[in-house]
Amino acid sequence: MSMNRHPIEQEEFMAYLDGELPADQASEALTHLELCPECQTLVADFRSVSQDLMAWEVESPEPGISSQINAALEERLQKRESAKIRPPRFENRVMTNRWVWAGALAIVCVAVALTLTLTSRNRNEDRSTAYASMASIEQYLMPDRNAEIALARSAAPESISDDAQILVLGWRGYETAIEGKNGFVCLVERSWTSPFNSAQFWNPKVRVPGCFNPAAARTILPLTIKRTEMVLAGLSKAQMIDSIKAGFDNKELPAPEPGAMCYMMSRAGYLSDAIGHYVPHLMFYFPLTDKSSWGADLPDSPVTLNPQFQGGPEPITEFVISVGKWSDGTVAPVM
Amino acid sequence: MTSDEALMLEFQGGSRAAFEELFARYRKPLYGFFGRRLNNPERADDLVQETFLAVIRAASRYEPRALVRTYLYGIALKLLAVERRKFLTSSTSGQSAPEPKTDGTPDYVLWVRQALEKLDAPEREILMLREYEQLSYSDISELLRIPVNTVRSKLFRSRLALKSYLESEAKTNPSLRPNTAQPHQRRRGMQ
Repeated sequence: MSMNRHPIEQEEFMAYLDGELPADQASEALTHLELCPECQTLVADFRSVSQDLMAWEVESPEPGISSQINAALEERLQKRESAKIRPPRFENRVMTNRWVWAGALAIVCVAVALTLTLTSRNRNEDRSTAYASMASIEQYLMPDRNAEIALARSAAPESISDDAQILVLGWRGYETAIEGKNGFVCLVERSWTSPFNSAQFWNPKVRVPGCFNPAAARTILPLTIKRTEMVLAGLSKAQMIDSIKAGFDNKELPAPEPGAMCYMMSRAGYLSDAIGHYVPHLMFYFPLTDKSSWGADLPDSPVTLNPQFQGGPEPITEFVISVGKWSDGTVAPVM
Repeated sequence: MTSDEALMLEFQGGSRAAFEELFARYRKPLYGFFGRRLNNPERADDLVQETFLAVIRAASRYEPRALVRTYLYGIALKLLAVERRKFLTSSTSGQSAPEPKTDGTPDYVLWVRQALEKLDAPEREILMLREYEQLSYSDISELLRIPVNTVRSKLFRSRLALKSYLESEAKTNPSLRPNTAQPHQRRRGMQ
């Protein structure tokens, strides 16, 4: 591979695949990759090696914390406590013994509870650690364009989605598959629209169909578009957060327009490993506001605060109201 | 989700729950780390426990300058080096290190394992840290105390060499590749 024909070297391609290239070089690599069959072969070779290596899985046993660790843990925690609490001046021997026994009993109870907890946690461990980094881009793409269009449309009743603009995800970001007539825009969001600290952020199985109304298409959809472009360009989470903050600071990213909302009524979506397709719901967007202004999360309130933007770089508050029917009109559970 | 670093600081402050969460997050990845390098499940499990014991004992000295992930694998690498030295000593005194267990190991795993064994040890370690532990180039550089550019160039060489070893063996025995032989649940691959 000569530098005359290829703007970046093989080693840099590898770094790109590992997510180790700066954003500008990553973008250059991606652009070239789309046009260069030779480089696509190289990339396929690297991925093939990586996948072959993944064949070697190590089955882990399921023990909890060993007694040795428990003892060390107790010792450390007790040392901390005794450093904080001055011992009584006059000790009552009987009482001391009673407390020793009570303490021992408590330790046994904690150990049993801990073992049970960890056994349960271990079963779920794959879920929490399985998506530590981005998977290959192909895993986030849907090979069947028509299936992605149908899934996007399933976010809202046909009366809305039939005339909506439909976006599908390609190698470089979202592209228009079908032009719309009513100002709504439907698409299937991917895992990176989750909060940045979410364990699902890189889950390639996530498919979130949504139909934005015109106000949200103008002011919320750009966030999805921007996050997606940055992910595909190989930016780190920290770079993405900085870029989003800067986007709001310099007004490149708009504040939510009054009335901005989104339909999420698909029964075919996959929102996370924990909640699957969830329940049909509507989402409403506002500039940062207190959740009490909507009575969100109060007992028996149908309104909940969506954590999507909580603590994130986007100064947006998002409320969710679940509804009783999927987009096809069938009855659904309401949370 | 609370970050590893925040959990570590909470544990420093006396939170047992924070330790339990870290244990739950890293027990399996650490088991994989030792399991692949020692091919001895019992010792792998022991060393996972020893890693966490070291975390408990050194908790007061932890400073959030490095990621907890890197910190844990740093401890693991040290324990691994000690373990290997033990085997070296015992083998020079007449005892030999146990052979890797192959009973019931699928052919495609042996194929990968044997190809990895053909690599130079330092390059193999870099490759494994990247592929299995998913560490960044700078994390590996910090752990192995080598420049980032060296990490990158050695990683590149080792991947090409491994591809060549894997391909040559697969040509003579095409059923080795898991996607053409046994059904196999793939984990995440290269990004």
